Amino acid sequence: MSAESSARFRRTLVRVMAVQVITLLLLWLLQSHFRT
Amino acid sequence: MHPLNWVIVVGWLAYVVTHGIRRSRGTKDIQGYLLANRSLPWWAVGLSVMATQLSAVTMIGTTGQGATDGMRFIQFYFGLPVAMVILGVTLVPFLHGSGVYTAYEYLERRFDAKTRSLTAFLFLISRGMSCGTIVAAPAVVFSAIFGWPVSWSVALIGVPAILYTIVGGVQAVTWVDVKQMFLIVGALLAVVITLLIQIPVSPAAALHVAGQAGLLRVFDFSFSLTNTYTFWSGVIGGMFLMLSYFGTDQSQVQRYLAAKSVDEARTSLLLAAYWKIPLQALVLLVGVLVFVFYQFHKQPLLFNPADERAVRAVASADFSRLQAQYDSSHILFERQAIRGTALELAGRVLHHPVNDTNYVIPRFVIDYLPVGLAGLFIAAVIAAAMNAISGELNSLSTTTTIDFYRRWIRSEAPDAHLLTVSRAATGVWGLFACVVATYAVNLGSLIEVVNRFGSFFYGSILGVFLLAMVPRARPTGAFVGLLAGMTAVGAVNFGAPKVSFLWHNVVGAVTVVVVGLLLSLGGRRTNAPPRPARAG
Repeated sequence: MSAESSARFRRTLVRVMAVQVITLLLLWLLQSHFRT
Repeated sequence: MHPLNWVIVVGWLAYVVTHGIRRSRGTKDIQGYLLANRSLPWWAVGLSVMATQLSAVTMIGTTGQGATDGMRFIQFYFGLPVAMVILGVTLVPFLHGSGVYTAYEYLERRFDAKTRSLTAFLFLISRGMSCGTIVAAPAVVFSAIFGWPVSWSVALIGVPAILYTIVGGVQAVTWVDVKQMFLIVGALLAVVITLLIQIPVSPAAALHVAGQAGLLRVFDFSFSLTNTYTFWSGVIGGMFLMLSYFGTDQSQVQRYLAAKSVDEARTSLLLAAYWKIPLQALVLLVGVLVFVFYQFHKQPLLFNPADERAVRAVASADFSRLQAQYDSSHILFERQAIRGTALELAGRVLHHPVNDTNYVIPRFVIDYLPVGLAGLFIAAVIAAAMNAISGELNSLSTTTTIDFYRRWIRSEAPDAHLLTVSRAATGVWGLFACVVATYAVNLGSLIEVVNRFGSFFYGSILGVFLLAMVPRARPTGAFVGLLAGMTAVGAVNFGAPKVSFLWHNVVGAVTVVVVGLLLSLGGRRTNAPPRPARAG
């Protein structure tokens, strides 16, 4: 793997994981806020 | 349904068939037909990966599950992003870099012909059957809702998809997938907005109603082998299922083998990882909002009109009494209990358990969505079904042609001949899927049927691909390990039927790797795996 493609893959990876964490946090908020 | 809705449905079908055929440039040889000459951009491949996985079962079954069971189904997908990342650094570089047409072709280079043929055969069996159930899901519902014979619905969904897949191969499949993904997401968003407008309380109050009914319970951290929808089942079992599905199932592998480079192939998988959980949340949210909508509007006691007609014919008085109780009740849990009684009554009348989850959304669409939007949603359901089956037909044809016809019957066949065989195989598999769909009327919960069927083989096939990356693994270890993996899954399935099918993937993969490695102990390195291709 070239250094450039490795860096691009790492960047995309970080974004993917960030989107997942944000989505899970939003789902957690949805569950806890509207539980009653 | 209003004629304008039908105009939209028929107009969309005509458009995608024309578009698919027009996009079939470069399909004059087998490389173009099966791999689009490895010319597709990452974003088109990524959308196609998502589209192939998002079937009509998702549009009908998952939204219905949101209305009846809430958001907890989303846990099923928690392992997907992790699986995509693992595949991006392991299998994708190996498969794309080795220049193969099918994932199974790689197994012969690494191990032997019998391992390749067995995995390819298992793929054909499981995908051929699942292709039928994917068509059956919307066909059965459309037949009940519109009062058509099942065969008409099967033809409406199957014929356009078979047509553009035969003519255009992977090129047509991918570009049609891209267009249809926009339609599907657009239709889902339009339904959410319409629901928010039609529900006579604020969105926050609507979510409180859903929360009170327990439909917004997303996370379940209990550890249970028998419960499919828990955090741990999703993360561990789901990850193995997704690794297997996206890493070894030709219907997915073929999408990224058509990408321009290894780097674009990996990025296309990450695109699917980006949006899968948010998209599933949107799909489930549609169902949750439909549930809230029915707390303020008249709801049918049974969503399947065919069941309702049958019950009214036999137990009219009982059904009318339940309907009157249901209409006059404003207490959530009382209404749920009355509906449960109505489903039991239907079960007694029809002599089988009645589950109308798959009818909740179609019935809402027909009864309450504005003219035009209902047509758009029905078109999106058909689009989702076509996306799934066209990708699968294309991969079934590829495996039949490359792993069986070219491997065992005519290895020296010219390109033009293989192209003809591929097109014929697409047609035959399409016909097979339509026949299975026509007769698969009583399949119960269609989502689980499709997933359960795949889980019987998926984990074991994943185990073989994992073994392929271990330099010491030998052909005998791989083949015997594969048989041992399937035996272990069979033993768990029949010996402990309550264990969730998600764990079958873990059992299958681990058994294959352990048995394969044990049988390879002390052997010399043979056919060691090639170095992964350089990205870029």
